[in-house]
Amino acid sequence: MKIENKKWSLEKFNQIREEVLKQWPTGQDVDLEEAIEYQKNIEPKKRVTAKLKEAKESGITLIQPRAGVALIDKHIELLRFLQDEGKADILPTTIDSYTRQNNYEDAEAGIKESREEKRSMLNGFPAVNHGVQGCREVVEALASPLQVRHGTPDARLLAEITLAGGFTDFEGGGISYNIPYAKEVSIERTIYDWQYVDRLVGLYEENGISINREPFGPLTGTLVPPSVSHTVALVEGLLAAEQGVKNLTLGYGQCGNLVQDVAALESLRELAAEYFADFKDIMLTTVFHQWMGGFPQDEAQAFAVISWGASTAALGNATKVITKTTHEALGIPTKEANAEGLKASKQVINMLRDQSLASNDKLEKEKEMIKKETKQIMDHVLELGKGDLAQGVVKAFKAGVIDIPFAPSRFNAGKILPARDNEGAVRYLDHGNLPFTEEIVKFHQKKLEDRGKDEGREASFQMVIDDIYAVGQGELVGRPKKNKKEENSCK
Amino acid sequence: MQKTKTKEVQKTENKQETEQKTLVIGVIGSDVHAVGNRILEEAFTQAGFNVVNIGVLAAQEEFINAAVETDADVILVSSLYGHGEMDCKGFKAKCVEAGLDDVLLYVGGNLVVGKQDWEPVKKKFLEMGFDRVYPPGTMPEVSIADLKKDLGLDD
Repeated sequence: MKIENKKWSLEKFNQIREEVLKQWPTGQDVDLEEAIEYQKNIEPKKRVTAKLKEAKESGITLIQPRAGVALIDKHIELLRFLQDEGKADILPTTIDSYTRQNNYEDAEAGIKESREEKRSMLNGFPAVNHGVQGCREVVEALASPLQVRHGTPDARLLAEITLAGGFTDFEGGGISYNIPYAKEVSIERTIYDWQYVDRLVGLYEENGISINREPFGPLTGTLVPPSVSHTVALVEGLLAAEQGVKNLTLGYGQCGNLVQDVAALESLRELAAEYFADFKDIMLTTVFHQWMGGFPQDEAQAFAVISWGASTAALGNATKVITKTTHEALGIPTKEANAEGLKASKQVINMLRDQSLASNDKLEKEKEMIKKETKQIMDHVLELGKGDLAQGVVKAFKAGVIDIPFAPSRFNAGKILPARDNEGAVRYLDHGNLPFTEEIVKFHQKKLEDRGKDEGREASFQMVIDDIYAVGQGELVGRPKKNKKEENSCK
Repeated sequence: MQKTKTKEVQKTENKQETEQKTLVIGVIGSDVHAVGNRILEEAFTQAGFNVVNIGVLAAQEEFINAAVETDADVILVSSLYGHGEMDCKGFKAKCVEAGLDDVLLYVGGNLVVGKQDWEPVKKKFLEMGFDRVYPPGTMPEVSIADLKKDLGLDD
């Protein structure tokens, strides 16, 4: 399979489309012309793109939860609650994990068992099995716009069905929904399959239907340095734009240090403005994900984590924030807990609506470093692809020039190791094969040496493990236990 | 005196070596949570176990095949995404069928969809044939202590 970053011909798209729609019987119900007519009748206030545009122009941060259950009526009930009680601006439909692996047989069994057990046996909404009509039932029952959220390496049929079903926003991309979500799927394969999804969205756009696309920012959600996630966001956005996508929300997951996180959001916007300069009629927005790592089990502590994420989103002027819940440490939340996460977030966002983090030396330095790092990776990717971004990405993953920490995929080098510095910002303990200059490498080394000195230990894998558990245990930086005792005795 | 001590140490070391127990670990079903899996591998290895890690997205058959091939003492199943109940169905019976009657079965994580009381969940998995069932947020030290106890290892 030879992939290149070039807009697909309609002929190529239609040829593959025939196969895609045969993957599950519900695919036969998708009629693109009829779907375009259906989408035309969806009023603007029920389109994600309209909502994002309004938020971007007025400088507010929208709130959106994650949610999905197995059965249509229960899913509607859940989303209605999040809309009315939680006041979510954009509603989600999180897809179950069997569907994400294209395992529609097990999803069907899950639907059946959920009916028998009278509770959801699936961790999301099996949209492919429910088909176009099932999706439309959901969309029509709600007043707010809906986005599909998942984690599917091959999401072609899912996109066909949900977009024909009236959804106006589709998350994911060939890197962000492969490397953190699969073990054995090649990058060539997912870039190719996501070109299909983006070409489909492009077709809707050509017919006057605006559909938003959102590369999944947080990746593995575990100490991902901003320049790694920015690179992936830019790459996936550029690949999507080439296929005709006109509305893009670029994402970033909270690391926990306020200055670094605000710098990440600001640099993401500035980098995007630069890299998408050739695409004149594109709408770029940002999404900030509240803390994606391990949560405290205590609900009051969890609220603090949620509120800290909402604060950062507001101060960094993200267009949208994805909220968490106090049940995060225990698995999938009840609808009540989900609505509470929304309410807590909304309160903070409203209070901070007219504030932003003032420019200061530290913030500017962080932004400068994130931009330099991202550009060094992007330059090298394009060089490897001899100017072709798609080919460059494939080679970059082989060479570890793009590398995502803690990812399950065997197509990821897995050589980089992140850890927090003394102020909790995420740094490169080992930058693997990322093509950084001496200046960058030393900057990170110094930051981690400073922490090591303070803790009386060398920066190592143990430090990384401590950092991964830290938030769940009530801290941001995973200090050694001995050090904590000493600190206490000094007080 | 010195000589005897060295001999003693040597003996203990040999004993430990011959008794090193093998664990098969992995994340079952369509679950891709890779972080905890990597931490468990590190923690169990440091605790002196021979760890066979089959990684994420592992089917029941992969756990069983790995246990047969490596003559494992324990299979530890992780599930973080809520489908644990469906994914673990019939696991014990398949182990028995493969001649793994004596292999200990541990399971842990966010095993069901939604916030449910822990005790009924634990009971359900014990009835499914698991020897130990761990709630979300269990630290590796807890299962390491249980492993040592269940395998008759001195701490």
